[in-house]
Order: sequence, then structure tokens, then C-alpha cells
Amino acid sequence: MSLKAAAAELDNDPQTAAGRTVYVYEIPVRLWHWINTLCILVLATSGYLIASPLPSTPGEASDQFLMGYIRFAHFAAAYIFTIGFLVRIYWAVVGNHHAREIFYLPVTNPKWWAGLLRELRWYLFLEKQPYKYVGHNPMGHLFMFVFVTLAAILMICTGFALYSEGAGLGSWQDVLFGWVIPLFGGSQAVHSWHHLGMWGIVTFVILHVYAAVREDIMSRQTMISTMISGQRTFRE
Amino acid sequence: MTETFYDVLRRQGISRRSFLKFCSLTATSLGLDSAYAQKIAHAMETKPRTPVIWLEGLECTCCSESFIRSAHPLTKDVILSMLSLDYHVTLMAAAGHQAEKQLEEIKKKYKGNYILAVEGNPPLNEDGMYCIEGGRPFVEILKETAADAKAVIAWGACASYGCVQAAKPNPTRATPIDKVISGKPIIKVPGCPPIAEVMTGVVTYLLTFDRLPELDRQGRPKMFYGQRIHDKCYRRPHFDAGQFVEKWDDDAARKGYCLYKMGCKGPTTYNACSTVRWNDGVSFPIQSGHGCIGCSEDGFWDKGTFYDRVTDIKQFGVESNADKVGGTAAAVAGAAVAVHAAASVLKKAKKSETVTGETK
Amino acid sequence: MGVYETQGFKMDNSGKRVVVDPICRIEGHLRVEVNLDKDNVIRNAVSTGTMWRGLEVILKGRDPRDAWAFTERICGVCTGTHALTSVRAVEDALAIKIPENANTIRNLMQLNLYVHDHLVHFYHLHALDWVDIVSALKADPKKTSELAQSISNWPLSSPGYFRDLQNRLKKFVESGQLGPFSNAYWGNPAYKLPPEANLMATAHYLEALDFQKEIVKVHTIFGGKNPHPNWLVGGVPCAINVHDTGAVGAINMERLNLVKSIVDRSKEFVEQVYIPDLLAIASFYKGWLHGGGLSSQALLSYGDMPERANDYSPGNLLLPRGAIIGGKLDKIHEVDLKDPEQIQEFVNHSWYKYADESKGLHPFDGVTEPHYKPEGPNFKGTRTRIEQLDESAKYSWIKAPRWRGNAMEVGCLSRMVLGYLQPKQFPFIKETIDGVLKQLDVPVTALFSTLGRTAARGIETLYCADLQVKQLDKLIANIKAGDSSTANVEKWEPSTWPKEAKGAGFTEAPRGALGHWIKIKDTKIDNYQCVVPTTWNGSPRDHKGQIGAYEASLMNTPLAKADEPLEILRTLHSFDPCLACSTH
Ligand code: HEM
Ligand code: HEM
Ligand code: NFV
Ligand code: SF4
Ligand code: SF4
Ligand code: F3S
Ligand SMILES: [Mg+2]
Repeated sequence: MSLKAAAAELDNDPQTAAGRTVYVYEIPVRLWHWINTLCILVLATSGYLIASPLPSTPGEASDQFLMGYIRFAHFAAAYIFTIGFLVRIYWAVVGNHHAREIFYLPVTNPKWWAGLLRELRWYLFLEKQPYKYVGHNPMGHLFMFVFVTLAAILMICTGFALYSEGAGLGSWQDVLFGWVIPLFGGSQAVHSWHHLGMWGIVTFVILHVYAAVREDIMSRQTMISTMISGQRTFRE
Repeated sequence: MTETFYDVLRRQGISRRSFLKFCSLTATSLGLDSAYAQKIAHAMETKPRTPVIWLEGLECTCCSESFIRSAHPLTKDVILSMLSLDYHVTLMAAAGHQAEKQLEEIKKKYKGNYILAVEGNPPLNEDGMYCIEGGRPFVEILKETAADAKAVIAWGACASYGCVQAAKPNPTRATPIDKVISGKPIIKVPGCPPIAEVMTGVVTYLLTFDRLPELDRQGRPKMFYGQRIHDKCYRRPHFDAGQFVEKWDDDAARKGYCLYKMGCKGPTTYNACSTVRWNDGVSFPIQSGHGCIGCSEDGFWDKGTFYDRVTDIKQFGVESNADKVGGTAAAVAGAAVAVHAAASVLKKAKKSETVTGETK
Repeated sequence: MGVYETQGFKMDNSGKRVVVDPICRIEGHLRVEVNLDKDNVIRNAVSTGTMWRGLEVILKGRDPRDAWAFTERICGVCTGTHALTSVRAVEDALAIKIPENANTIRNLMQLNLYVHDHLVHFYHLHALDWVDIVSALKADPKKTSELAQSISNWPLSSPGYFRDLQNRLKKFVESGQLGPFSNAYWGNPAYKLPPEANLMATAHYLEALDFQKEIVKVHTIFGGKNPHPNWLVGGVPCAINVHDTGAVGAINMERLNLVKSIVDRSKEFVEQVYIPDLLAIASFYKGWLHGGGLSSQALLSYGDMPERANDYSPGNLLLPRGAIIGGKLDKIHEVDLKDPEQIQEFVNHSWYKYADESKGLHPFDGVTEPHYKPEGPNFKGTRTRIEQLDESAKYSWIKAPRWRGNAMEVGCLSRMVLGYLQPKQFPFIKETIDGVLKQLDVPVTALFSTLGRTAARGIETLYCADLQVKQLDKLIANIKAGDSSTANVEKWEPSTWPKEAKGAGFTEAPRGALGHWIKIKDTKIDNYQCVVPTTWNGSPRDHKGQIGAYEASLMNTPLAKADEPLEILRTLHSFDPCLACSTH
């Protein structure tokens, strides 16, 4: 199929006819989305403060536990984040086909490439309108795959590898993730990449939230409400 | 016959009874039945001292210097009674041809039975001639000597990872020994240098149990490198409390607060410094006010300045740490969003003007 | 180069060429080739550094505050001295003033290095050139005890003590596994000590091995470990707290007491073991006064141990500074590390490349570009199998530093001679040397020899062991006066630095004058050059064919046996060569 033919097909998808409402995101996906959002907020804030702690407080060490609490918040959120991710993977298997999207990129599908090109042109103000999608638009899809799915794997692997250092040799964290440390060339390097991972995610979140709000206003379909109710409505 | 390991123990005031108990404990810990305890005792009472060939490549001799600082066992006893230090350029009496002959004789006489201890590493550029011994490249001597060794000890950061001469741009291509020796058990004892008692501890383990201690994923003995400095640091309560030295010699420094903000690499460094400590347990870097510089970690020279907590990432060129790279990316994204949003608003305003005429 | 004259030596490479490689009981990799005439007298000497690591190249582009850690790893034997030189170079470049306590603690650490390094050198690297261990088996323990008690009050001197030791030694030798003592030159006629002196010295070889690990605990207390303690640009990293809560995390009274006990015991060991042994051994060798080399002509010292902080002028230094050239002992020249005319390095005979090799380079503009090429008409072997080097071509990894064009000897002998020549400032040195000369009944010129160098090292150790005690008293007095400051952090942040800066730092390392030169640009190291004691002493020839201190010292020495280079080792060891340092 040529890109052009693919594009024509995209434009004439009967599912996306004006006024139609489609149920896209099932409850577990929506729930995960918002829990995950909260986890990341906590993880990024606490993680940043782990790397660059707040100014010291005077007094006896035994009376205070500030760094301890910050790390606790990080680890608690990390566990929820990880379990959430695992549940989300489970739902990708049993849920509807939109639940699977963020776990793969349809790189062999010309429709997807055509859509990606169109989306890019739309953001460069070269197109009057974007295509309509029941699921994610290809650009969002690409970013979600890289900066959420892959990034989550990176953060979980490096995070638990770092955690294993405290848990000790032979802990389950060490058995499952200890190999990550030599892979990156030492503990310090793992810290650095874990840290960098945070910035990757933060950058994604900025763009993602902007895109969500913008598309909600400018594109021909609902966005934010979709992530709340699960229903997508096409306007024109 | 020579003084055996048993003689040494006797001289140090250990009774025959506790010696035999030691042997049976050894047998149990090796998973052997009690009949073996007798065999171990016999071996320890009669065995000749294990020959050790100690080679030095590109290095600074601080590993040898550290080795002779051992307090328990005393280095004197290690050298006179536990092993036979048959070749060690820094300590041996012979030189020149006699030294070369000594090396050849030991290799032949104890083929497959000597321990090779390596301090420093071989450079590979210029055909190895950045380190010459007896007119030829050190790397050749290293390979030949390793070929007939029973086991190989990589002393220090040099032999284990390359150390300072392998720091970027590694002009001589100084190379860790496990990259040029193959087919031999190699135990890495990193540190710049390693702690004396860790060195003699590893040696005594090898001699006592006649096998390598359990190693971790990176080839280091778990018993000394199984934990980070940070895990057993006596300043750890201050870390958990969020009490840090903010500037050298500030009030916090005088009170012994945590050195994390001064770049301490204790949280990322595996070594026994905070437990065994240095020079007979007198102190260790953190106790004396300077952060750990991570001297037992692979490539610690190239992780950015020793005084930064968030350090550089090699792959991003000369000077970039995660906060710089990531912060820039986030800032660019933020700015792009702002500009894009403004452009979008403009465009939308224009569109709503023209759209009236158009019917789709 | 054939036959020629330089610095008063007649160089003649026509005789039998003898190669000694590796030279053992030194730090690093050194090769020496000599030509012997028919009477086995050395008529040509060639010394070659056979390793190079490239620290000057590695330092480029790094944070100047980290440089101490890199340069410290130039050597684990003279550990700390490069680090101190480095922080001084950075402080000089950035005009950072350090607190009084920091200066005193640095002095203490540097003095501590001297005591340790010299002691280990004497017993474990040098003694076997004078002491025949195998002969000790023949000694009478009772007579040994008498000998020991006649020269010192050291308590470990009973006949039983020496008998036990002798038995242990016997067992060791009988085992046939001689370890580090294998295959040496035992029985060589150049050994002159009676068996009793050999047994006593062997006992002290082992005692010193036990004791040296105690000495370095001063480094451990202030720097956290040894080898390779920690340092800080702007001061020292160990905070002082003797009054307040939390003192356990810093230098407190308990730590100072520990330092006190170490420096006291060190002084005792030097006074009661090292010096008596040195004098006893020397008395049997005072007829063997070869190996003077350049020492009676050209001596250099930068000086060290500033009494008051931040004043590096000669009058404030506890170790002397100055240069002597042309054998004129009555004229001490001023030394300026920043004067482009004074210190220059040449590479005509070194495996490095300059754009124009007819000139030397001052370290501020120094270039380190390796260029390995063994060549010349007399070179024998291949690129990777050197049989004989040709000193008319490039032949060493050591550069050739010169002071106002002169090859210089640096080290303890230079310092002690310079101190001797300035008795007002250094009365202790003058008096001790006179005492030693008198006791051995030798003229002052005996100093210019292998034995003189070895004696100078002992005298210096005595001086430094004493200074250690005094510097500790000073530290305690200053703390008592209410000053506990240890670091100046005003210029800690690179944002406070000028766009460009350059500075020179110096110390007297145990082996001699050590300088580091740094150029800083945009907060990073732009150029870093080290000229190291063993670079001076182990220097190859220069553009004029002038030989270095090692080469000169071997000249005209007769060997008792051509195939046992004992005398070569003896003389080279008297310098305490450090090759890792020399080439860095
Ligand atoms: C979105 C996910 C996450 C973000 C943004 C994040 C962020 C961070 C950051 C910025 C740091 C400081 C790194 C440094 O030393 O420079 C950190 C440390 C750490 N994180 Fe995470 N993290 C995430 C997920 C996780 C997960 C899933 C785990 C798993 C347990 C984890 C465990 C850790 C640990 C153990 C540390 C080191 C704490 C310490 O050194 O005291 N993180 N994290
Ligand atoms: C930490 C922050 C966030 C992360 C990591 C994140 C991640 C994601 C992911 C992975 C998806 C795809 C869901 C799936 O297919 O399972 C998604 C969809 C979505 N998110 Fe977020 N999100 C974040 C915050 C937000 C916020 C704050 C909003 C609201 C303003 C938002 C609005 C949306 C919307 C509208 C969608 C649906 C997009 C579509 O229909 O194609 N997200 N987000
Ligand atoms: N040469 C030399 Fe050193 C000394 N002393 C240093 O500067 O030994 Ni390793
Ligand atoms: S590992 Fe460090 S201490 Fe050991 S020889 Fe190498 S540089 Fe020296
Ligand atoms: S000083 Fe270093 S090792 Fe100790 S608790 Fe603080 S960060 Fe950890
Ligand atoms: S610098 Fe090295 S000595 Fe120990 S505390 Fe750190 S590993
Ligand atoms: Mg140099």
C-alpha cells in the first residue's frame, strides 16, 4: 500500500464519522493512567531531592529523618508504579485492542507512517487538520511507547538495581536486577541513567499535557474527557 | 622443613586443639565430611609454602605498599611463613639476569602450582613498549607467566579495571589484565590501593581453603566487596536525617555530618572501608573528612569531578551530567510548548475568520 | 658518541657492555647499561626509564580541584607528595590562601612521608646492598647482642632474641624456598659486614617491616588512608573539633593523642634503630666512597615545610632551597620555578617529540608527545626485543630536565649539603652532619659518594622525625589559641575563578625537588606538567651530551665481579629511584 492510499483510507475510516462516540479506554487503562500520573509526580520530585537534597537541618540526627522520608516516598511510589505497570501489561493482554497500543509500534504498517507524517505536518502548521483516530495518534503513540513504556522499563530496572544495593546481595531485587549494575559500568553510572530517565519522562509529560489540552481544543475529537470517561466523540 | 602454616599459627599462640577445630570448621564450610579435617590439618602442617610470582606493569606500587601495611596477619609472617614471594621486583634482592632466571625457574619448577599476583596493567599501544621489562613488552611476560599459574590475583584498580593510566584518553591503551589473560581463574581485588588486610585476607583465604573465595558478578570477593561504603558508614544517620556538610570546614563538617553534598561516592562504591577501615582500623576517607572518591569502582576517574554528587555521563561528551542534559531537554520542551501554543492560538483565530466562507 | 668528555667525566663506550634490566628494589621499571674496561671499571653509563603512563596528557581538560588525586597516583611510594604539589600549584594559580592549621597538617603529612619512605628505603630497598643475609646464619647471637647493646638502647637486643631470629632464618633458608632473597649475590666480596652485624641488620629489616605500618597512621588520621591519603585545594579535608558536640566526627583530642604517640615512637625508632644501624654499617664501608657523580658539582633543591602558612620564601622553609653549579659550594643560587630561563626539559635522547628539539621547554609551555623509537648505529635488537640501546639516539622514557643548562642532582644529599652550607638557618643539619663525620672519622668530601647519599638520608630522617614532633606541638598550640580553621572555601566554586590562570607548585619529595605547573583556562586544565625528582636524577643525556645524575654516579666505579652488578645496584639505590614518578 502506498502512503497516499493509506492516508485516503485513514481519512475515510467509518468509525470516526462526525458525531460518533466510541468506547476506547476501559476502566483499568484510565485508572492506571491517573495512578501512574500521581506516582510519577511523587517519583520525580522525591528522586530530584534524593540527588539534590534540601538544606540541612540542625539538631540531633536521631530526631530527624527527612532524607529517610523522602526516600521512603520514592520507594513507596516506586512499588505502586511498578505494580501498576505490571497490571497494565496484564490488561494489555486481556483488554481491548487500544489497551495494547502503547506496548508496540506498528512500524510495518504504512498507515501508521502516513499518520505520523501528517501529524508532524499538523504540528508544523502545514496541515489544516489532523486525521482522526479512535486510539492514539501516531505521534502520541510513538512518544508514549518510548517515553512511557520503554522509560518505565528503564526506570524499573535501574531503580530496582539501585534498590538491591541497599537490600543486599542475594535479595530478590539483587537476583532479578543486580545484573543491571555491571551492564551500565557501575553503580554511579546506573544512578546517572536513572536520573536521566527522570528528565526524559518529565520532558514527555510537558509535551504530552500540552498536546492533550491542545488537541482537545483544536482537533476534531475529544481528548481529556476520553481519558476520564473512556468515550471518544468525533466532532465533525 | 620450612615453617608451615601450622607453625605460624602455633607461634601466634594458637593451641593445637583450636588448630584442629579450625580445620574441621574449614572442612564443614567446604561441605566435606569430618575425615577431611584430618587431611586439611595434615596439609597445613606439611605443605611447602605456596610460590607467588608478583608482577608489576604500569602502576604506582601503592598496592605493594599497601600490602606491607597489613597488621593481621603481619606482612612479615606472610612473607616468611605463609607463602614464598619468589618474584617481586620491588622487594627481591636479585636483579637483571639473576632476576629473570629466578622467574624462569619458578615457572618451571612450580608449573600449574604458583599463584600469579598482578599489580598494574599492560599497555597495548606501541606494541606494549610503554612498559618494558628485560627489553621486551611487559604484556608478553604477563601472558607467559599467567599460562602456567594456578590462579591469578588482580591487585588494585590498575590490574582490575585500568586505573589512572587508563583514564581518558588512555594514551598507552592500558588494559585490565582479564582482557589479556584467558582460561585462568582471576580474582579482582580493586581499590586504589586495596586495604592491606583485605589483600592479606584474600591471600590467606586462598592458602587456607586452596580455592578462590566466592566472587560477585564483577569477579570480586563477596566477603569484602559485598556492600557499599554507604551501607555501613558511621555518618549514615546524618544522611537519613538530611544533615549534610554544605561547605568544607563548616559547622556540619566539624560535627561529622554526611559528605553526600560534597560528592561522596560512598553510595555507589563497593569496598570494605567503612567496616574494616584503613591501616589497622585507624580511619577511612570519610572519617577523615573527605568524601569517598569511589577508588574501587570501574572507571572512577572518568565520572566527572570528585566533588559533584550528580556526575557526568560519558556518552554525552566531555562534560554533561544528567541534570544538565535532562534539564535542558525539559526546558527546551517547555519553551517549544509556549511558542507552539502561541502560534496555535494565532492560527485558530485566523482560521475562525476564514472558515465561515468555507463549507466542508 | 664514542669517546668524549662531559662534566669532568670521560665517556668511553668501547669496553664490554653489561645490561642490568630489571633493576630491582626500586619503584617502577629501570634499565641500566654500562661499559666496563678490562679492569671491570665502569667507563660509560646509560640509564633508561622503561615505562610511561601519560598523566600529563590525561589531566588535560579536567577540573583542577581533582588534579591532586590523579597526580597522587603517579606514585604510591612517595604517596601524597604529588598531591600536595598539585594543590599548591592550583592555589598558586588562583591565589588561594590556606589556614595556618592546614599548613601545619600538610607539613605533618609530608614529614611523615619522609620518615616512612626513608626508613623503608634504608631497610627494605637498600640494606641488601650492604647486608649479606646468608652470612647472618653464621653469627654468634651473644656477640650480636653485645654489638647491638654497644650502639643503642633499643630493648630488643638480648642474645635469646637474636637466637630465635636466627633459628627462624635457618629454617627459612633450609626450606630451599628463599622467596625474595633468592638468587642474589650472597657471598660477593663487596659485602664487608661481619656475620653479627648482618644478623642485627636482618633483625631490624623485619622490625622495620613491622614498624613502618605504624608510622603512616598519621596519614590515615588526617587523610583517611595510606597509601594515597586525601587532600583538598584550599586547605585540608579533616575538620578540627576539640571542644564541641559531634567531635567524634573530626580531629579531636583522641586523634591528636594518637598522632602524638605515633610521632614519638617514630622518633624513637629512628634514633635507636635506624641511625645506629646506619653508622654501624657505614663504618665498615667508609673505604668504599664511589658513586659521587654530580653531587660535588651541581645540586638543586626547591625547599619545603613552610613554617608559616602561605609564605614560600626560602627564609620560611624548614628544608633548604637553592642551587649549586660548577662545584662552587660558596655560591647558593636562587631558584625560581616560574623563570623561563631556569628550568627546561629537553627530549633529544628521550622518546618524545618537540617541534624544535634544539631548545628546551619551560614547563609552563611543556609538551608531552610520546614517540617511541629505539634506533642509532649501536642499537641492537628489534622494536620489541631491546638487546642494547644506543645513547647517541633517543633511549629513555625520561625527559632531560636542566637548570640553567646544567644536569643536577636532587634529593636528600642536595638538601643536606645546602643545609650544611647555611648553618644559621639549619643548625640541626650542620651539627648532625659534623657529628656523623666525626664519628666515622671521614672528611666532609666523603659526603659526595654513594655512602654519603645514604647517610644524608638517615640524617634527614632524624631531622624530620624531630620536626614531626615539633609541628604537632605547633598544631596543638594553635588550636589552643582558638583557631580551628582548616579550609578556605572562598574560591572553591569554579565560577569565582578568572578566565585564565597559571601557577607552579613545589615540594621537596623524599627523592628530591618536585614541581607541578598548571595552566587553567575556562575552569579546566589547559596544560599540566610535572618535573619530578627521578626525572632529574634518572635523566638521559641532553642536546650537549651532558649526562644525568645516575649515569654520572656510576662512572669510574670498579665492580668486584663483572657478572654480579652489586655495586651498580648499591649506587643506584642510594638515590632511591622511582620510575613511575620519573616518567609519569
Ligand atoms: C518514573 C520513575 C522514576 C523516577 C522519575 C525516578 C527518579 C529518581 C531520581 C531522579 C533519583 C536520583 C538519582 C541520582 O542519584 O542522581 C532516583 C533515585 C532512586 N530511585 Fe528512582 N525514579 C523512578 C523510579 C524508580 C523505581 C521504579 C525504583 C525502584 C525501586 C526506584 C528506585 C530508586 C532508588 C533505589 C534510588 C536511589 C536512592 C538513593 O540513592 O538513596 N526509582 N530516582
Ligand atoms: C505523569 C504524567 C503522565 C503520563 C506518564 C501519561 C501517560 C499517558 C499514557 C501512557 C497514555 C496512553 C494510555 C494508554 O494507552 O494506556 C496517556 C493518554 C492520555 N493522557 Fe496522559 N499521562 C500523564 C499525564 C496526563 C495529564 C496530566 C493529562 C491531562 C491533561 C493527560 C491526558 C491524557 C489523555 C487525554 C490521554 C489520551 C490520549 C489519546 O486519547 O490518545 N495525561 N497518557
Ligand atoms: N621521584 C620521585 Fe617520587 C619521590 N620522592 C616524587 O615526586 O617517588 Ni615515587
Ligand atoms: S591500583 Fe591505584 S594504588 Fe594500586 S598500583 Fe594502581 S594506581 Fe597504584
Ligand atoms: S558520608 Fe558518604 S558514605 Fe557516609 S552516609 Fe554520607 S554519603 Fe553515605
Ligand atoms: S575512595 Fe577508596 S579508600 Fe574507600 S572510602 Fe572510597 S573506596
Ligand atoms: Mg613531565
